[in-house]
Amino acid sequence: MVETDSQLVARAQSGDQQAFAELVRRHKAQVFRLAVSILGREFIPEAEDVTQEVFLKVHNAIASFRGEAEFSSWIYRITFNQAVNLKARVRFRSPHADETALYDVATPEPGPEQRAEVAQRNQALADCMGTLPEVYQSALRLYYWLGCDVGEVAEPLGVPENTAKSYLHRARQILHGMLKEKGYSCD
Amino acid sequence: MTEMEPYEAGIDRLLRRSMDAPAPTLSSDFEERLMRKVGQESAGLDRYGRMVLTGYGLASIVVSGVVMRAQGLGWGTIAVTILGPLALVAAAPRVRRLGQMQ
Repeated sequence: MVETDSQLVARAQSGDQQAFAELVRRHKAQVFRLAVSILGREFIPEAEDVTQEVFLKVHNAIASFRGEAEFSSWIYRITFNQAVNLKARVRFRSPHADETALYDVATPEPGPEQRAEVAQRNQALADCMGTLPEVYQSALRLYYWLGCDVGEVAEPLGVPENTAKSYLHRARQILHGMLKEKGYSCD
Repeated sequence: MTEMEPYEAGIDRLLRRSMDAPAPTLSSDFEERLMRKVGQESAGLDRYGRMVLTGYGLASIVVSGVVMRAQGLGWGTIAVTILGPLALVAAAPRVRRLGQMQ
């Protein structure tokens, strides 16, 4: 029989490392995905560091976890705070990869002029995205880059699905307005 | 797919196209490295805990000895008062194990 998170947490609280390892196995991918969605493509190695830090924090604090919220909600909250703090610290450091590199993958338009135009628009899009609130940026990356559905966007952000939908809607609305203001067409 | 206003279709297409890149994954040895680090941190904490406890124990023995001596007790009485409870604490697990074996 598959143990629930609560059962595993109870075992981990009494010092069972196997139970903790199982919790890591269950949640590592989602924690990493949330960290990556906040930090963006430029800081993937840092997202892995955040994932490791989160689990170390969880291991050290698991005795104080009272189970008032779901274990996953707790771990996602830690991840969000950890990643946002790191992002604030690394903002001025040169990234490992330019986020616009992400946007260069699928640009089938031929010709150097059109390519330059697309590259400019993508840079503008990346710049505009960077000015959005963290939850909007995270929701957009989870949905468009990491292939999550609305439910999978909502869960790590700790919001109902309707709120996640409204994050995406509002983010698109703001981006559309910003790009239009900068003179770029979205078509 | 979320419900969209007509004007959103363009920005949706743009976002979809621009972020069409493979999703990153964790390194294959992530779990192994993490559990190793967890083990190291736990061992470090255990060692630190033992050091603190030993220091506390030694300090309290010295303070108790000095205070009891100041009250005029002899060294024999002081030794029994301090070492007696220590011996009891040390013997308790053995006594319990013996009880379980019988």
